[in-house]
Amino acid sequence: MSLLLRLAIYVPVLFCIAVVVCGQQHVTARQTIRDAVRRSIRWLLYSAAIVVAMTAIELLFIG
Amino acid sequence: MTTAGISDDKATQQASHGLGLPAFFMTFVPGLGQWVLGQRARASFAFASCTALFFAGWAFVQDRLFAYSLTSSEPGGAWIPARIGIPLTLPEILNLPALAIGGMLTFESDFESMRAWFLPRPMEDLGGFLTAASGMLAAFWGADAIWSMRWLRDAKDGVTPAPACNPALAAGISWLLPGAGHWLAGQREKGLLMAAAVLVVFAFGMLVSEGHAVDRQIASVWWIGEALFGGGALFAALVTAPIEMTSSPDNLELGTNLCTVAGLMNLVVMIDAFTAAERTSFPVAQAPNGGAA
Repeated sequence: MSLLLRLAIYVPVLFCIAVVVCGQQHVTARQTIRDAVRRSIRWLLYSAAIVVAMTAIELLFIG
Repeated sequence: MTTAGISDDKATQQASHGLGLPAFFMTFVPGLGQWVLGQRARASFAFASCTALFFAGWAFVQDRLFAYSLTSSEPGGAWIPARIGIPLTLPEILNLPALAIGGMLTFESDFESMRAWFLPRPMEDLGGFLTAASGMLAAFWGADAIWSMRWLRDAKDGVTPAPACNPALAAGISWLLPGAGHWLAGQREKGLLMAAAVLVVFAFGMLVSEGHAVDRQIASVWWIGEALFGGGALFAALVTAPIEMTSSPDNLELGTNLCTVAGLMNLVVMIDAFTAAERTSFPVAQAPNGGAA
């Protein structure tokens, strides 16, 4: 599966999960979306950091 | 801040204490909680509805349910509960009496019977959904009993407002249609947002797996998570699961993962719907950013 297709699934799914997670702390849809956007960006950065770390470990130990 | 005559801090503190383990274990027998509370008619209806739903499904699946369970059919591998006729099968185990009766009526431990567990049955997709639905229904009746207990403990006559809807109903209807419980509880826009979030993830899963992600015959353990979105599992049981899978789709695993994630997301939505309805009677203080304190 191409990287583009993976991202096309991963990013919206991450946002949907963030909506449900953030929804527990808010009453309105507007507050939920605002918080979910912030959280999705944070999770995307974490994901990128994990991918970089895994790639580095792979290069280091497997080559 | 005091709302409806009851201190928010006190209400939140009491709610966090919970109702104890006895109340939790009572939920495994549909109607027992209502019976203890003196709601005899409600208790009888709870027990009858869960039992009827279970045996409606059992008529199709029968001992095939053992093949879906978390026990092994290897000689000596089956857990003790299965040996006495109670397969460790989720979510049916939430309706423990019916599962035990069904199991004890059909459990045979000889090799031929165990082999027969793996033979497909007509309309088993629908049957498997109905037995599972009886477990979920039992859980919602349990939630109803828990809510009644909290109401008896915390509500003040003529002061505490009635909830916008029964919290257990809000959770139950969210199982079939995500967000519907929020709608009933008055959080309509948020309900639509929750519905969209769960449905998008579920639809992605079904699309990439060519419709085979939600099938109890193929992946019975993953199905436990997928069935937490009851509407999706019912759709699959009626429409997609009966279609024979001639070749394994390239992204079956990804689709199964996504549909399971959708189910787990809906578990959060159901709990939140319960809380949203509960807070129409027992509100909590709002934080300055609009969130719950």
